[in-house]
Amino acid sequence: MSDLTAMMVGDRDVVMSCRVRLARNVSGFPFVGRATHPQRREVLETVRAAAGPDEATVGLVGGGRVGASAAESLAWIDLAALPKRDRQLLWERHLISRQFAEGDSPRAVAVTPDERFSLMVNEEDHVRIQVLRTGNALREAFDAAVRVDATLGSRLDFAFHRKWGYLTACPTNVGCGIRIGVMVHLRALRVTNEIEKVKRAAKELHLAVRGFHGEGSEATGDWFQISNQRTLGVTEVGLLEEFAGRIVPAVVAYEREARRVLLERQRTLLEDRVFRGISLLRSARLLGLDEAMKQLSSVRLGVCLGLIPDVALDTLNRLTIQLQSAHLRSGEAGIETDDDERAARARVARAALGDPS
Amino acid sequence: MAAPFRPCDHCAKPAVVHNTVIVNGQMNEVHLCADHAGAAGIQMPGQAPIHQLLGQLAQVAVTRPRGPACPECGHTFHDFKTSGLLGCAACYEAFAATVGPVIERAHGGASEHIGNVPARADDANQRAALLQQLLRELETAVSAEQYERAAQLRDRIKDLRPTASARSDGAE
Repeated sequence: MSDLTAMMVGDRDVVMSCRVRLARNVSGFPFVGRATHPQRREVLETVRAAAGPDEATVGLVGGGRVGASAAESLAWIDLAALPKRDRQLLWERHLISRQFAEGDSPRAVAVTPDERFSLMVNEEDHVRIQVLRTGNALREAFDAAVRVDATLGSRLDFAFHRKWGYLTACPTNVGCGIRIGVMVHLRALRVTNEIEKVKRAAKELHLAVRGFHGEGSEATGDWFQISNQRTLGVTEVGLLEEFAGRIVPAVVAYEREARRVLLERQRTLLEDRVFRGISLLRSARLLGLDEAMKQLSSVRLGVCLGLIPDVALDTLNRLTIQLQSAHLRSGEAGIETDDDERAARARVARAALGDPS
Repeated sequence: MAAPFRPCDHCAKPAVVHNTVIVNGQMNEVHLCADHAGAAGIQMPGQAPIHQLLGQLAQVAVTRPRGPACPECGHTFHDFKTSGLLGCAACYEAFAATVGPVIERAHGGASEHIGNVPARADDANQRAALLQQLLRELETAVSAEQYERAAQLRDRIKDLRPTASARSDGAE
């Protein structure tokens, strides 16, 4: 029982991760879409110089914690020079957007070793500050994002308008330029056919509901990203409180109730799906991505309900990333065909979950 | 008093879109539920993605397809319409008349930023103007008994004030 209680800390049984993203542009330069390559390079150098070389200078950690090892801890990755597979790898890890992964114009991303912070330069906007946290730690993510914003904002002139707030390339981001979002696993609500209710409620609250990879990805699996759409006429703290105080607790409670009902009324059906899922992942020799994600979802539900005590939630969270295509192809040499990839996916799943054979 | 129930012209669901269409001098009323309005290409407020909002605007702007260009970056309204993106900060002023309503529609009718202000972007005057604006909004919120909003505004005002006074102190 203590394991199950532990999973509920930070709502980790439902909330996989949370994210706060801020969009900013540097005054005096055209927005990225209108900027020439030399201008984009200049923006890149300007932001890079303002960010400094490590987490402390960018504002992620407080004073007094700068050690020798931290001095090189903020890794700058030049996207234009990065092979395609490595770009996809960053996208699969949710560190950059799909749009950012494509194209050859001057742009870069700065990432901390723990991958909880990334700074995209020259995506749709000059600067995209992104803070990721495991579980429901929105307040912590928010504080970190605001700290970085304050640090960068004290060194750079951000484009700002008295009426419209922070100016962004797309008018849907003006105002605070903030997106607050959570990635939630709503397996039980999917089984009980209540997902549409969640989507309708989200729409009424002006929230966007997207798939595993955010914008452009359909919410076809059991993982959903829920984020705010309105950024004007709201305050950052007001949005945070609405998310952390109202929206996330409501979604979490709704999913937990669906899980409770499933256990109570359809235990055999539930157990069947969970144990089929774990058996398949532990013994399959060829595994497609969609099938893997579907079974991982069932197994995750089983783990959260205490049906599979020997599998850790962290293992499953890691597998949702490790079983993606670019991760498999960069992890093993010689993967060329789709069947090679499916075989590699099955091997990684068996190794992580324990092959009974 | 609740609005009288009127069914959709095509089904029994309540109509949420009510249009008056005049064809050849003949006036017709059209009443549609959300689904049939969607099928007819009519967007509900707050639900339309930016490209569709722009698509609606494009019909208005059809008589002047190129539109004015931003004096700062040369971006045209046509560029905005096709990409959904503006070219630079000055575009917000250059296209204020057309982009303003798009912004308001995309943000549920909101037309004023009430969030954080960057540390360096504004001089003391701009900061003071924002302070005045927030104070006016606070007055409105209090008189409308919108206490949650009033509290948010007070926080913003509190954040702005010390910085504004510190700056003017420093300037003297």
